[in-house]
Amino acid sequence: MLQFAGFWMAMVTFLGIWCGHVGVRWLEAHSPNIWPPIVVLASSGVALNVFSLFAPNLTLAGVSSIIGITLMWDALEVYRQQRRVLKKHAPANPDNPRHAAYLAAGKAITEDLLNREPQGAPAVLSVPQRIERRQASYERREVEA
Amino acid sequence: MSWEGIALGLFSLGIIGFGFFWVIRLEYYLGYLWWPYPMALGILFILASFFTGNAGWSALLGITGGSFIWGATELKEQAVRAELGWFKYNPRRKPDPPGLRWIKKIKAPHL
Repeated sequence: MLQFAGFWMAMVTFLGIWCGHVGVRWLEAHSPNIWPPIVVLASSGVALNVFSLFAPNLTLAGVSSIIGITLMWDALEVYRQQRRVLKKHAPANPDNPRHAAYLAAGKAITEDLLNREPQGAPAVLSVPQRIERRQASYERREVEA
Repeated sequence: MSWEGIALGLFSLGIIGFGFFWVIRLEYYLGYLWWPYPMALGILFILASFFTGNAGWSALLGITGGSFIWGATELKEQAVRAELGWFKYNPRRKPDPPGLRWIKKIKAPHL
């Protein structure tokens, strides 16, 4: 008889990471304040893990814990996504007041730099881009110091 | 009360963490065009999971397979990250994967 537990775990692992990636980007880009989604994601994650302790079978226990831990990780990723926007590694959403403030202060960009095909060579940056990157690096060091 | 579900959840966290490691290394040394191979490995893991007599082993194989398939879809974006200077770029020529002619006909998946 075929064992389907692994198939369901594979689906949940793959779809969980996929939805997490897309969902985290969307939530961070559309939330004026990142803390409400972080709290909702983290508490839903904890709840699913508690449910998994009492689930009637291994498949349901595993599926709920995988989704639960993924949601808890996504809560952390919402915070990290905000840092990516501030590092100019992710695009800012001008319609979000929090991002609009970053854009006005020159701390973020709207361009999605990852939206390109690999070229087989390092990306050549223009002189203003190099100056901007160096400036951002100095600012980060000042913040961290 | 059973902790097996949470053990599987933690295993998935660990295997995804390992995914970050191998995606960076594989892209650095071999290049993103090798993406069909980890994807095939992931599919094999999932197929194997159907034929284990034990639900626990089936679950571990399924989680590993799902994570490898995801990793295969991340290789292209990792190549772009390296080209942008966000990760170390390997200037050496990377080896061609077997079946390069066919691989180039399919657009590398990216989700």
